[in-house]
Amino acid sequence: MTDSVSAPSGGIPPTARLALDQLASRRRRFNINLTIVLIGILFSLFALLTLLGLDLRFMGSWLGFLLTGIGYTLMVTVLAITLACIIALLGALGRLSRNPIANGLATFYVSLIRGTPLLVQVYMWYLALPQIGQALEQAGIPGVQKLLTLPAIPAGILALGVCYGAYMTETFRAGIQSIDIGQTEAAQALGMTQSQIMRRIILPQALRVVIPPISNDFIAMIKDSSLVSLMGVWELSYRATKIGRRYFRSLEMLIMAAAIYWVMCIILQAAQARIEERMARGERRKQ
Amino acid sequence: METKHPIIRVRNLHKIFGRDLHVLRGIDLDVQPAEVIVIIGPSGSGKSTFLRCLNFLEEPTSGTIEIDGVVIPAGEPGRERREHIRQIRAKMGMVFQQFNLFPHMTALENVIEGPVTVKKIPKEEAIRKGEELLEWVGLSDKRDEYPSRLSGGQQQRVAIARSLAMEPKIMLFDEPTSALDPELIGEVVEVMERLANEGMTMVVVTHEMHFAKDVADRVLMMEDGMWIEQGPPEEIFTNPKEERSRQFLAHIL
Repeated sequence: MTDSVSAPSGGIPPTARLALDQLASRRRRFNINLTIVLIGILFSLFALLTLLGLDLRFMGSWLGFLLTGIGYTLMVTVLAITLACIIALLGALGRLSRNPIANGLATFYVSLIRGTPLLVQVYMWYLALPQIGQALEQAGIPGVQKLLTLPAIPAGILALGVCYGAYMTETFRAGIQSIDIGQTEAAQALGMTQSQIMRRIILPQALRVVIPPISNDFIAMIKDSSLVSLMGVWELSYRATKIGRRYFRSLEMLIMAAAIYWVMCIILQAAQARIEERMARGERRKQ
Repeated sequence: METKHPIIRVRNLHKIFGRDLHVLRGIDLDVQPAEVIVIIGPSGSGKSTFLRCLNFLEEPTSGTIEIDGVVIPAGEPGRERREHIRQIRAKMGMVFQQFNLFPHMTALENVIEGPVTVKKIPKEEAIRKGEELLEWVGLSDKRDEYPSRLSGGQQQRVAIARSLAMEPKIMLFDEPTSALDPELIGEVVEVMERLANEGMTMVVVTHEMHFAKDVADRVLMMEDGMWIEQGPPEEIFTNPKEERSRQFLAHIL
């Protein structure tokens, strides 16, 4: 029951040492080559952009204006992903529930939302909901029209959150189902209730499983948040297209907007890697 | 022995999977307090299913199970029945073939999970008790290790400590050594023997015949969902009455 494998008394033979060195240098060479290739691609990209004769001064002068749009983008994304996570958790529990009402509602929700375009949903929340409010108001519920006439940003957050919640419901459900049945049985054998088992045993393990796909959704949502520009919110991509059209400099503005989105996503990916590392405690890594 | 009321009493237990896979065919069993029962038999004979029925991890199709005075007939689930099932589960520890430790908790956290969450025992008290139990299974130095860093034998001993932390009156063992490397079986069997010597009521499904011979008060042999033979180990192992038991024993001894 030794914890580590120790070298035999003879030590590592020179041939084995050589093989290890070769393995290490092959790995190092791959990393070096990969870096060279990536730098090459970036360089070519810059060369191409220079050839296109981009108006760099113009870009510089509008950079600050674009960057202030990040605030809206981030606010919409963070609030919408939070909403989506809450919905997804409830949705997953509903999809796994043996209660016909909970199960039926969750199944219906996932099917409806996944089956319709996000673009249509955004317009539904923003443009069609007030009409529903009007109809209800006329049917005799006072004040409902005002309540259902949403400003652009809340409408966008609801649209994105509800839409991503449906996709993430399936992610959460799969994560919960991926936990071995033996975990539930061991907890049951201790006399734990269903909700205790879910909270203490299943969800903490399922969370670790769903972090990568959820991060994926988060990254996708940063970009889908540009859909709120349809409602005239001055977020990143709306600013870029507005100014680009006004000065016939769409190429410059869109390249800048794309670059800003990209940097945000790179930062998010780094954060994801950190979180996964932290969550991996106690877990044996599969190679 | 017959005068005492049995702590486990099973009557006419049937388990049918799906519509026609008849795994248990009318099982009766009485277990007295402090008795050690070993169930043997060919794989697929229904031993594990029977054990899992005892704490309702498997829902019996018909029959009655009585654990320490709580009578639960097979039947439709309901709120009161669920409560009864949780009561008997809290009285009965179960040790699994695959250990089933909680991988996101350290050894000590595994052991105190039941007392803290189910019995609402204050954490400091549970930790004190948990440390004693880990010492009892010889794993004091592993209290802060996660299960993935423990050997199979160590994991199973933590699992036993986890069950004992609930202070059960009965311990169920479902092939506790079958997933272990041969050199790790001894350390788990040794813990089980000590538990038996301390007067724990135990029902053990195992292929570990040494344990059956040395520790069991009674050995029951199951085939096709029925007992085909039962008695004290010396009798079963040396002089089985049934031809089928003789064949099975010749196979494994």
